[in-house]
Amino acid sequence: MNRLLVSALALAFGAVSASAQSLDDLNIQIHGYATQGFLYTTQNNILTTSSSSGSPAWTEAVLNVGAEPIPKLRVGVQGRYFLLGNYGNTITLDWAAGDYKVNDKFGVRFGKVKTPSGLFNDIQDIDPSYIWSLLPQSIYPISSRNSILAHYGGVVYGTLKLGQTMGKLEYRGFGGERSIGTDDGYFLAQREAGIVLPNGLNRAIYGAALHWKTPLRGLMVGASTIQNNATAPEATKGTLVGVYSVHSFNQPNYFVQYERGKFMVAGEYGKTAPMVFTIFPGIPPIWRPLDNREWYGMATYKLTGKLTAGLYDSQYFSKAVKLGPARYQKDWALAGRYDFNQYLYAKAEQHWVDGTSIGYDVDLNPNGLKPTTKLTILKIGVSF
Amino acid sequence: MKKVLFALLLVASASIFVVQAKAQVIVIANPSVKTSEVSKNDLKDVFTGVSTALPGGGSVVPILMKAGTVHEEFLQAYIGKNDTAYRAGWRSLVFSGQASMPKSVDGDAAVVEFVAHNSGAIGYVGKGTPHEGVKVLAVK
Repeated sequence: MNRLLVSALALAFGAVSASAQSLDDLNIQIHGYATQGFLYTTQNNILTTSSSSGSPAWTEAVLNVGAEPIPKLRVGVQGRYFLLGNYGNTITLDWAAGDYKVNDKFGVRFGKVKTPSGLFNDIQDIDPSYIWSLLPQSIYPISSRNSILAHYGGVVYGTLKLGQTMGKLEYRGFGGERSIGTDDGYFLAQREAGIVLPNGLNRAIYGAALHWKTPLRGLMVGASTIQNNATAPEATKGTLVGVYSVHSFNQPNYFVQYERGKFMVAGEYGKTAPMVFTIFPGIPPIWRPLDNREWYGMATYKLTGKLTAGLYDSQYFSKAVKLGPARYQKDWALAGRYDFNQYLYAKAEQHWVDGTSIGYDVDLNPNGLKPTTKLTILKIGVSF
Repeated sequence: MKKVLFALLLVASASIFVVQAKAQVIVIANPSVKTSEVSKNDLKDVFTGVSTALPGGGSVVPILMKAGTVHEEFLQAYIGKNDTAYRAGWRSLVFSGQASMPKSVDGDAAVVEFVAHNSGAIGYVGKGTPHEGVKVLAVK
């Protein structure tokens, strides 16, 4: 209820500000994009699709409406239809926010806002923005993407010039409530074990991100952190009713990006180690071990005005899991993107996946998982 | 051999044309913009959504051309991207709720018209375009 109130207030603030002006003065803009993907794997079924038979079950459509009712104030809302295998197939609110930018040094965004953590979190769902079909899954897992993209609350942001010799520092501070829906991919393992969180998981978060644009032209070095407060929502297992207890934990990320002309190289490292217990009366607590290290390195090069190629190596290790393919994922990806014009583009991507710790479910792989898989992705998108 | 020489001549001619073409774009601003010069980096920041002000010039609002040679030349010379990559960058900001897309208009005359009548507006036009009511910013 509080979440709806925050978003409603953000939009109402904009609407009241706008009421005395004509539509032309409001600078109303409507944008959108839609993508259709196709997945094929040589072995396991991935991302809850029947990919080993070839699956077109990856569709997204986004509509964005924004306006500037008064100088320095923007309001906007963005909705999304998302389908990936058994994930989604619903329309959700990406964000709905007001943004008041006092000047380049200080601005505030409030409502349901994108969480500006890591190198790509706030744009990880914006397919037209980058060459990849799948961002490195070690840090940006698409199965639980909708839950970590945004939070209800606010962001303060700005850019500080550090002088001629020190570059610029972009800062973001944020806080509020993050909500993970009961059907989210985050809970896939629990659901398959018969454990359901009927109300999902809501918890307070706060954090900060710094992007230092160094004096070396094109080089940015940054770090972010998210503090996740403890929570214990209701959980059910058959007729049992208990709690899903998550202790407070911190998620740090460190990243670097260098862009020069047609060339871009980037890397990121993150760590996630929450303590999670599922507690039902009459049985010992079920401990879900999580102690993850994740990182990637990537490079892209613009071959022509319309064709871009890229390569990344993404690695994920769950230190709390016993030795074997389920403990890790190592994913080499080779990607190409062709822009037919400013509206229409196509992508092709080949992955060599070693390890089974990310992206697989038991139901669609009833005969067990093979340790390695090749994944081919084709995608077409249109944006305006 | 003659064919090779002819090809080299063509490439050389094209290079000269490109160098000359870059000089054919001028940056204009509404007279309310307090500065008369702008650095290439500050210009890039304004036209990529990083900044909404110029040092010593106050708040500015960029305006784009929808397409055309002048538009492409401006992007290549001052932003370092082609139109597709440039608009992809703006879409990242728009779809993540961080900015609104700058207004785009058709042709030089429309840019001059907009810049002349909107406080803080900054745009670019071909060098030979009549530009009454606006000031030309020197790009350092």
